[in-house]
Amino acid sequence: MSAPGTELDGLVRQTVYRHVVETTRAPGVADVSAALGRDRTAIRDAYARLFARRVLVLAADGETIVMAPPFSGVAAQLRKQVGAKEYFANCSWDALGIAAALRADAVVHSRCEQSGEPLIIPVERTGPGPVPCVAHFAVPAARWWADIVYT
Amino acid sequence: MLFFRSEERVDAWCRAAGLPRRPVVTLPQLWHLATAWYGNRLTPEARRPAPDEMREIFAATGLTGAFWDPSADSFA
Repeated sequence: MSAPGTELDGLVRQTVYRHVVETTRAPGVADVSAALGRDRTAIRDAYARLFARRVLVLAADGETIVMAPPFSGVAAQLRKQVGAKEYFANCSWDALGIAAALRADAVVHSRCEQSGEPLIIPVERTGPGPVPCVAHFAVPAARWWADIVYT
Repeated sequence: MLFFRSEERVDAWCRAAGLPRRPVVTLPQLWHLATAWYGNRLTPEARRPAPDEMREIFAATGLTGAFWDPSADSFA
């Protein structure tokens, strides 16, 4: 027997990701409610469970999706161009993660955090081009979720 | 998890910010992490890796030590 909310949580999760992929932006609770024909309270409750399971990251209002990893639900300096669409990424890892998730060629638009120099990284389905750059991981893995937005 | 042009830029940024220098990951390593973590994220059965799976992914990427242990409570 499934845990309470498990089936709905899966549907909500899929609806959120489908919306992000199609529109490049995170859906509101009303969007998901309308898509699934469920009331807003049920969707909010599903959001809370998905947050607890670290599937989504929510703002304090419990409704605004800050992250649906690897996608950012809010505007960010790290952008990923996939065809005509431009997605926001949470971090360097997620910037490549968007191409991996979409299985599509893409271009990362970022910058060197020390110099501000633009970093443009083409990513094909087989991996990123040979652009000289590195990623610095400032937070140990055991603490990522203590403040995932900072991480 | 920020991008830098080089390790020297990382060093300068950490000094200026008064932050400890932590591990630096190359672009091929980052791609390995991205595909392992997110390659199936849009499928219905997708889920975050469990801690043991995380350790395996990091090890396969060449990232070892307490920093990469999701259950470690101390690290260098």
